[in-house]
Amino acid sequence: MTSIKITGVEKRFGELLALSDINLAIEKGEFFTLLGPSGCGKTTLLRTIAGFYRQDKGDIWLGDELINDVPAYKRNTGMVFQNYAVFPHMTVYENVAYGLKVRKLPSQEIEKRVKSALKNVHLEGYEARTPDKLSGGQQQRVGLARAMAIEPRVLLFDEPLSNLDAKLRVEMRDEIRAVQKALGITAVYVTHDQEEALVISDRIAVVNFGKIQQVGPPWEIYKNPVNLFVATFVGKINALDVVLGEDLGAGLRRAQAGGLSFAVPGAGTEGCVDAVLAFRPEEVVETDESGGANRLSGTLVSTAFLGTVVSMELELGGKTIMIERHRPKKGDIPAAGDKIEFAVPPESCFIFDKRTGARLRAKEGR
Amino acid sequence: MNLRGKRADIWHLVTFIGFAIVIVFLVYPLFDVFQYSFKNKETGELSMANWKEFFGRAYYMRAFGHSMFIALATTFFSMVLGIPLAFFTTRYKIKGSNLLTTLSVLALLSPTFIGAYSWITMLGRNGFLRNLLSSIGISLPPIYGALGIILADSLQYYPFISLMLAGSLMTIDRSLEEASENLGARATKTFFSVTMPLVLPSLTGGALIVFMMSLSNFGTPMIIGGNYLVLPTLAYNMFTSEVGESPGMASTVSIILMLCAAVVIVLQTWASSRRKYASMLVNRPVVKKLKGAKAFFAHLVCYFIVGFSTLPLGVIVFYSFRNTSGPVFKPGFSLDSYKQIFFDVPKTVANSFIYSFVAVILIALVGTLLGFVIARKRNMAVKLLDPLLMIPYIVPGTVLGIGFIVAFNRKPIFLTGTAIIMILTYFIRRLPYSVRSAASILKQIDPALEEAGINLGSPPGRTFRTVTLPLMQSGIISGAIMSWVTSMNELSASVLLYVGRTMTMPIKVYLSVADGYFGTASAMSTILLAVTGIAMFVVNKYFNRGSETFIAS
Repeated sequence: MTSIKITGVEKRFGELLALSDINLAIEKGEFFTLLGPSGCGKTTLLRTIAGFYRQDKGDIWLGDELINDVPAYKRNTGMVFQNYAVFPHMTVYENVAYGLKVRKLPSQEIEKRVKSALKNVHLEGYEARTPDKLSGGQQQRVGLARAMAIEPRVLLFDEPLSNLDAKLRVEMRDEIRAVQKALGITAVYVTHDQEEALVISDRIAVVNFGKIQQVGPPWEIYKNPVNLFVATFVGKINALDVVLGEDLGAGLRRAQAGGLSFAVPGAGTEGCVDAVLAFRPEEVVETDESGGANRLSGTLVSTAFLGTVVSMELELGGKTIMIERHRPKKGDIPAAGDKIEFAVPPESCFIFDKRTGARLRAKEGR
Repeated sequence: MNLRGKRADIWHLVTFIGFAIVIVFLVYPLFDVFQYSFKNKETGELSMANWKEFFGRAYYMRAFGHSMFIALATTFFSMVLGIPLAFFTTRYKIKGSNLLTTLSVLALLSPTFIGAYSWITMLGRNGFLRNLLSSIGISLPPIYGALGIILADSLQYYPFISLMLAGSLMTIDRSLEEASENLGARATKTFFSVTMPLVLPSLTGGALIVFMMSLSNFGTPMIIGGNYLVLPTLAYNMFTSEVGESPGMASTVSIILMLCAAVVIVLQTWASSRRKYASMLVNRPVVKKLKGAKAFFAHLVCYFIVGFSTLPLGVIVFYSFRNTSGPVFKPGFSLDSYKQIFFDVPKTVANSFIYSFVAVILIALVGTLLGFVIARKRNMAVKLLDPLLMIPYIVPGTVLGIGFIVAFNRKPIFLTGTAIIMILTYFIRRLPYSVRSAASILKQIDPALEEAGINLGSPPGRTFRTVTLPLMQSGIISGAIMSWVTSMNELSASVLLYVGRTMTMPIKVYLSVADGYFGTASAMSTILLAVTGIAMFVVNKYFNRGSETFIAS
């Protein structure tokens, strides 16, 4: 169980700046996720921790040890690969024992550890199988067992579930989390799947263009994004270009999007005119009563029934807005062309600076 | 993997050795060839005389024309034989199609001169088939010259077309043709607008290989060409003839030959770079079962093509067991020809085995290491080395032989007449194939496997040994066996480099045919054929490698 400290790390590939001033402190036993779109630098960062790349600037510490110049094979990090990387010329047993043999452990100890690692991933009895006789999910379990068997200082996951089908992905996700918590081992997990990140992580770092955008627990990332990128990448959101207008009192300010007018939180927006207003579909309140702020009426364009919610696409004032109706009952699904009345509570509105994308809000609290 | 260590690792050394090999054994001799062609024979001054003479005299231009004609005709007839065979064996159920493939590969891999020599025994001046046919009143044109070369070459090289085309036909997803039919195209329309365009790149690729092989082939035109000179035999004659020997002119011819080969290689690279589709194979194509006359016709065509091409090999084997008395065949069967070989020239047989064995060890070792560097370490030096290592592709054996004699017959490297120069010839000629095949095996091995090894605590050297090498093993061994076969059968370069004590089997066959000792030649050829066949069998059986290995090699 080891903490990871990354300070001022930069990595270039030729002209491309893949990582720029990365600073992270990952705590002992933490499940830490690097989340971002493909090409954002998250895998580069993971591979730099593993030692497959050498950063151009900055330091990486594992616990108290500065590992900048420690070769990959001496770092004792257990990596789980996207395409499993299970050795095809070895049996399941030999795969899991590989790192232990390298460490010259006595054969009894190897046997004990292989057995326990396979038990952890529910592959008892598969010792003699060869990888070509295993499904994708089983191969990834071998990959996980192999990485755990060496009792690494940290576990590194490089999109381990992206090659599995949807159902198995959910199953494996829960297992990885359970095993990690049971062993109490520090884990760094790379994914582009925001739902996966929200479910599995203690904390998430959202990465884009080689920079850390925001670090925080899943709830914080979702409910309190620091910029427009984080808000749009994690979860669904409506984003409208608005012009900020007069103060409405009670901490609210006018936001004008074409013919639509909103009252939005004014704190922190001083001096800003061009902005982006964003709110999540599930925050919208459907209402028939008059009164209340930000009441709007839109024409239904299409609906999607998703079981627990009905997702509706509305057209109003030339803009498209997504809203959600929860726990739909029979007859609750409206038809295209229907008028839908709804309200956007001001406290659910995020305001971002249109130019920088930064969130505009009160300096303290939320 | 990008482990930029500051220490000089083993791969730097390998890259350095690669450069050393290229410079000493390719650049240096080829530069000598180049120099010779621009030098005045008497004065040693710079001169264009050889080039003027080549383009000025009908004698030389005719050989150039002959070469082009032979290569084109061979390509054409190889397609005539190869296309139907590929199509029938992949799309229709042909009984014994595995056997047909095996036999055509055997024809392809057999020493180039055997076919030519066999056709002489059948259709030569006193050939049994000619005599047989003339006894029933059919008289054939003489086999020596263009006709014989084209016949022997086409029957040897058509498997390049049939195997490559079959490979491509088998990997067209069935749904593509189904989609065409579903959109309303009838079978013929589908064939010409969907199937053909998809397989065209591999057909072009195969055709260019045939063109190239035929262009640089030395054994066949030497044995059956008579006075019909092509560029390789012209270069050989210019270099070796006792009267009017002219290394300068031979060098000029060599350069022209290399230029032609280079053009073909460029075209081939272009053709194969367009081979991007046909990779998403979900549903294998349907193999139709034919009935009645159609089935009979398809079988007839396939068996005729393959039978025709294996006939010369069968004839050779048959003749090797006939009684002989000197150059004359006599009735009855015996092992006399074999006895003669083992009593008279055991050293020749031993030489062939020893030289190719040593060469193959070198080829496999150096080829694998260089292949690894090329596939996994793309630094500037490697990017420069990669194309240089491919030079032997465009250097016909005859040209390499001439280069080696000129370069290694004087200080600082004196090698002529040694076994080393023979081994080096085999080594250099096969090296690019070995490097290519090692690199392409490596490209199929996910680099993540090596990273996994390293991540689990195994240093790079140990990871290469415990992860990479075991995964490459069967590819390396089957590649080495193919190298061994081609080295055993090498004639065009070694015939220029041998001396009495370094004689090899192909050279002995060539000399025996020239002297009319057909019995010895047949027995020797049969041994080479058997070696080729056994090697193919081993590769097929123990390494589960299909016919692709044989074309790639």
